Amino acid sequence: MTSTTFNAATLPANDNVNPYAFSVDLNGQWFTQKGKMIAYYGQIRFQALSAGPLDMLVAESFHSPLYAHDWIVAEGQGKLLLADRGFDINSYDLDKGNLTIRAANLLAFEPGLELKQSIIPGFLTLIGTGRFVAASNGPVHFVEPPIRVDPQALLGWADCPSPCHHYDHGYVRGVLGAARMMFGVGGTSGEEHQFDFTGEGTVLIQSSEHVTSSDAMLRELEGQIGMLGVPGLRQLHGTIAQRLAAEQQH
Amino acid sequence: MLAVDMAGETVRAMNGSMVAYDGEMTFKRQGMTGGEGLRGALRRRVAGESMTLMEVTGQGTVYFASEATEVTLVELAGDTLLVESDSLLALDGRLQTGVQFIGLRGMGTGQGLATTKVEGQGTVAILSDGPAIALEVAPGTPLCVDPHAYVAHRGQLQQDVVTDVNWRTVLGQGSGESVQFRYQGHGLVYVQPAERGGILEI
Repeated sequence: MTSTTFNAATLPANDNVNPYAFSVDLNGQWFTQKGKMIAYYGQIRFQALSAGPLDMLVAESFHSPLYAHDWIVAEGQGKLLLADRGFDINSYDLDKGNLTIRAANLLAFEPGLELKQSIIPGFLTLIGTGRFVAASNGPVHFVEPPIRVDPQALLGWADCPSPCHHYDHGYVRGVLGAARMMFGVGGTSGEEHQFDFTGEGTVLIQSSEHVTSSDAMLRELEGQIGMLGVPGLRQLHGTIAQRLAAEQQH
Repeated sequence: MLAVDMAGETVRAMNGSMVAYDGEMTFKRQGMTGGEGLRGALRRRVAGESMTLMEVTGQGTVYFASEATEVTLVELAGDTLLVESDSLLALDGRLQTGVQFIGLRGMGTGQGLATTKVEGQGTVAILSDGPAIALEVAPGTPLCVDPHAYVAHRGQLQQDVVTDVNWRTVLGQGSGESVQFRYQGHGLVYVQPAERGGILEI
């Protein structure tokens, strides 16, 4: 396969170069996730969110201290190429809307959008008007609720209420079910747990159950420890010790 | 995957990359010198830029592949292509290879101090994680590339490293894009839509 060549003028403006790379026509500021830039033309600076001059922008558009460490601001003029481990890349436009997306899959967004943490751990919500870029393992499918989705295949959702957990009845029923719950043994299909969506809106699913790893989940848990108090912390300490002992036996 | 139709010519390819062939083929592992002469072999040893190629000669079609990665064909007409030896799948038998010292820029990205130089007339097949994107560099429009996404480059290009390492980087509050290669001059740079893991997280 011989590829076509691009230069600063022929690179698409805010569109895909190929299914795996996206070209941003930067003229101002964009939020991007760390390490997703592969190349750029022009004068572009990359700054951590903690950089002083960005205070106003961060205060307006980035409401998630938990993820601030993973994000930077690209500032300047030029063409910026983004890619993520050879995943499929898509861009979406929001018009006074809201959309929630798996944090590790969000690559970049315009400052016209506001970023907030979702109630569901590991997801981020974008509110407002503007464009954002997201990665998925395999093509994205858009479906309408009511629908139940495998947690690993869920990429995000727009306009509908947050999902709730759904467990298959057979899994919780009877002695065997109780044993499974307690010891995690017994034959399971691995499909007992889903996210249940209802209401009006759109649900985005990717075509694989490959979840991009991120340490954001851990940080999210750490962030919630503060709500426990001393008795809760003691109990958690015991649980973790038990769990660690069990893991080390394997 | 790369298919090469052959009628008596010679192709050099990465050792062990042949997946299938039909017709009559002979495979010969290149000796110590790898077709670069004693001096070339010595340079390669000193540079630590190891490359093991095999010579394939015959009639028919031969198929090469490596790790299900994408293959890009680059036509050389007397000019030079610089590529990491890991990314070199196959090349025309008439092309010459050698080692090019590139200095410190390879450090930290796991690429070492040297890279492989291919020159002459013919076709080179390079590997990339995802389809490679060819980006033009012209005087006045320099290009900056993430070292982890760099695959190869050709033409009259000057390469330098742009660093933006400051106290924030040391504190772990860096931008994650502190080190970039900047290309100036006239030529083409190939990048891949994925970042390979380096030694340093920069």
